[in-house]
Amino acid sequence: MAFLIRTIDQTASGREIVRESVVDKDTLSIGRAAENDIHLSDLAVEQHHVTIAAATGEKLDIKAISRLGFEINGRLEKAASIDPAQGAELALGSSRLAISQNNGQVMLIITKAVSGEDAVDAKRSFALAGTLPAKRAMSWGLAAAILFTFLAVPIASHLTRERITTDDVDRAGQVDFDGSWSTGKLSLAHHSLEDNCEACHVDAFVSVRDEACLTCHEDIGDHAEAPRLADGRAPHEFGEGFQWAVAGMFGKEGPGACTTCHTEHEGPTRMEPASQLFCADCHDTLDTRLTDTTLANASDFGKTHPEFKAAIFTEFRQQEPRRISLGDRPRERNGLKFPHDVHLDPQGGVARMAIRLGRGAGYGSALACKDCHEATSDRVSFEPIDMEANCESCHSLAYDQVGGTFRTLHHGDVDQMLADLRAMDRSPRRPVVTGRSRPERYARGGLYYSNFGPPGRSLVGIDRALAPGGVCGECHLPATSGNRLDVMPVNLPDRYFAHGGFDHHAHRQEECSTCHEAESSKVSSDVLLPDLASCRECHQGETAIEAEVPSSCAMCHSYHRPGTPMPQDHPDNRRSEIANLGPEAR
Amino acid sequence: MVSLPESKVDFHGTRRGAEHESFLTHRGMRWAKIAGGLSFVLFLGYLLIDQEPRPNGGSWYGYTLGTIGLGLIVWLSLLGVRKRRINEGHWSLKAWTSAHVFLGLSLVVIGTLHTGFQLGWNVHTLAWALMMLVIASGIYGVVVYATLPERLSANRKQMTRGQMVEALATIDRQLEQAAQPLPRDEADLVIAALEQNVFAGGGWARLTGRYRHCATARALTAFREDFRAASDQQAPKARVSALLRTRSAQLAQIRLQMRLKALLEVWLFIHIPATIALLTALLAHVISVFYYWG
Repeated sequence: MAFLIRTIDQTASGREIVRESVVDKDTLSIGRAAENDIHLSDLAVEQHHVTIAAATGEKLDIKAISRLGFEINGRLEKAASIDPAQGAELALGSSRLAISQNNGQVMLIITKAVSGEDAVDAKRSFALAGTLPAKRAMSWGLAAAILFTFLAVPIASHLTRERITTDDVDRAGQVDFDGSWSTGKLSLAHHSLEDNCEACHVDAFVSVRDEACLTCHEDIGDHAEAPRLADGRAPHEFGEGFQWAVAGMFGKEGPGACTTCHTEHEGPTRMEPASQLFCADCHDTLDTRLTDTTLANASDFGKTHPEFKAAIFTEFRQQEPRRISLGDRPRERNGLKFPHDVHLDPQGGVARMAIRLGRGAGYGSALACKDCHEATSDRVSFEPIDMEANCESCHSLAYDQVGGTFRTLHHGDVDQMLADLRAMDRSPRRPVVTGRSRPERYARGGLYYSNFGPPGRSLVGIDRALAPGGVCGECHLPATSGNRLDVMPVNLPDRYFAHGGFDHHAHRQEECSTCHEAESSKVSSDVLLPDLASCRECHQGETAIEAEVPSSCAMCHSYHRPGTPMPQDHPDNRRSEIANLGPEAR
Repeated sequence: MVSLPESKVDFHGTRRGAEHESFLTHRGMRWAKIAGGLSFVLFLGYLLIDQEPRPNGGSWYGYTLGTIGLGLIVWLSLLGVRKRRINEGHWSLKAWTSAHVFLGLSLVVIGTLHTGFQLGWNVHTLAWALMMLVIASGIYGVVVYATLPERLSANRKQMTRGQMVEALATIDRQLEQAAQPLPRDEADLVIAALEQNVFAGGGWARLTGRYRHCATARALTAFREDFRAASDQQAPKARVSALLRTRSAQLAQIRLQMRLKALLEVWLFIHIPATIALLTALLAHVISVFYYWG
């Protein structure tokens, strides 16, 4: 039997070289070794790989003679029988042997599979490009991820959310992933809004409105009427003016808005009180813009601040106290005689009396300020002086004793007092009964009677209670109202400082006498308030490094209620809570 | 300072009669001065202009810095467009590249001052971080452009890349012939070495030059062991072993070439995608800031 063997090789240029040979054998051997009938110099082929032998009925038997099998028509086999008339492809290593029948001869066409490596462009292969993800693909991927996560998701969920108009601060926000837009943590006061951005950022591309703040902060008062505020505001510097002009075009509310002073997203601390500069912006040169203002310029407590103006009754019977600068050395006309020095003298009669009254009555030693001036429950200031509570234990108004009970004059009501005193002489005295009958004078029941009661008239008589030397005159100035005797009405202001807050509790480490010169005050017309200079011994402006207490405007003044001190729950008022840690914290 | 070595400048100088000028030293470092001056002035402004209550991207100075920064970033990223257009004149590509490098560096100052040093886990800081990543990869790029080409040409030893691949193919043909008499298991080792694509190591192998699954190295180890007990009958083995060593040396040259090339190119795989990511993050930054305007 003859095998016709046709070998087709390809040159580098693609031209085919065809060689033909005829092997006249019954068994054809194929392998890498040179002695084979078909010699394939391919390391993937065994030295003696397969044999092809003629079998009965025009068939061919292909048998592997090495460990490795062969591939016939795409299947891996160790032995196979094929019909050359039908054709078959035998693969050995990189060679393909197409078997067919041709004019009674079995023909084998041997071709080499083209290796993919040759097609590779050498120059390109040196570049990194093929081995890393493509730059373009990475770019698109990153861009899409960023746009989706940081823009599409928050905006879509913001636009489709349900509008909430209540001030329920504990409600969770509905906008997804807008936390990634937050420039910083909210202040501690607003912590519960951390996850609820749309509570303040209500509308897209609209700045945070005052009305959003006022949803919760309903009781905030205005510093002044809006037009007057605008008039008083200093013109902006170039950069700031430009920013406001641009911001105004985009609908920002302007420099009077809440957010101008109260910036947020500055980290989880207390919300910063507005800095001194915010006040000084206007108050530094306020008189040049508000020519009718009674306020003096102020920009820094240590440098530019007017002398304190205390609200004082400077005349008797004044209806309203008058604000007057302490620099003008005002005298107070409160209608009382009260020499502080007599009361505070540790050697004087008052001290002796306090010692005699003893500890049981709340004294026991020479008088101290607190014996008369009681602190309010918040310890910020003092209760008004009350005659009954603060004076009467020494300055008794008792005028009669019935059994063990003393009758006292009504304080504060002149008519009632006069009536009481008149009635005293008219009322029957306590009968003095000896039990012995005497002749001539008999009372009812045959008992001897005589009025041996105290000569009231000579002690606290009507004419002398209000007269010089009378009991009222001990403290009060005599006066007449209409046609009758009276005392001068007492005028003591509730608050001396209308525009600033002073916290006595914050100053508790100081003695009262450090600021109030009461020990040497001989008359009640002395104004015992410390002046600006004495405050400045400790307090200087916000930026003063040498000061014991650098003090911004907000330490004493409230912006939102200019007529009052800071509200009690203002963050600045809670400063002491942090320092005064409880016993368990210590 | 990165620049070409003196000798190289001299070489070009004598050859062309004109001094070669790197984009870094272009026009007496004009752009270095401009960018440095800009950064200095803006830094001084940051120190001297009081922003209440504290420096912040939303103050008027913050907006100024942000606008300058945004403009610079957009312009700098246009280098990718500019370099694809052949052009001469005042805005030569060299001038453009010089400005790109130095103005890009000035963004470290401008962008960081714009943050007011308020950084956090948010889209704004993402934009800043991407900007810093782009700048850092750019600095790496400038450094390798100034140092690696020399090593690259030293490694080539007058060969082109095509010649290197051709040399390997020649060795492979010889190896295939030499391995014909070998038995199966040894032939398999050679086949594995021949079949392994020299370019198929992956990015990490290229950058480090370490190929853990190198079939040539494995074959060489096996043949070296055999070679110790060499005898006359094992002449084909000795020949294969020698060819494998040659192949290994040729591979080393190709791999070093690829490594240097990879080190020279890898920064662009960060610089470019990070730039695109930065531009999108900037878009998100600007839109989100005004969407949730304070």
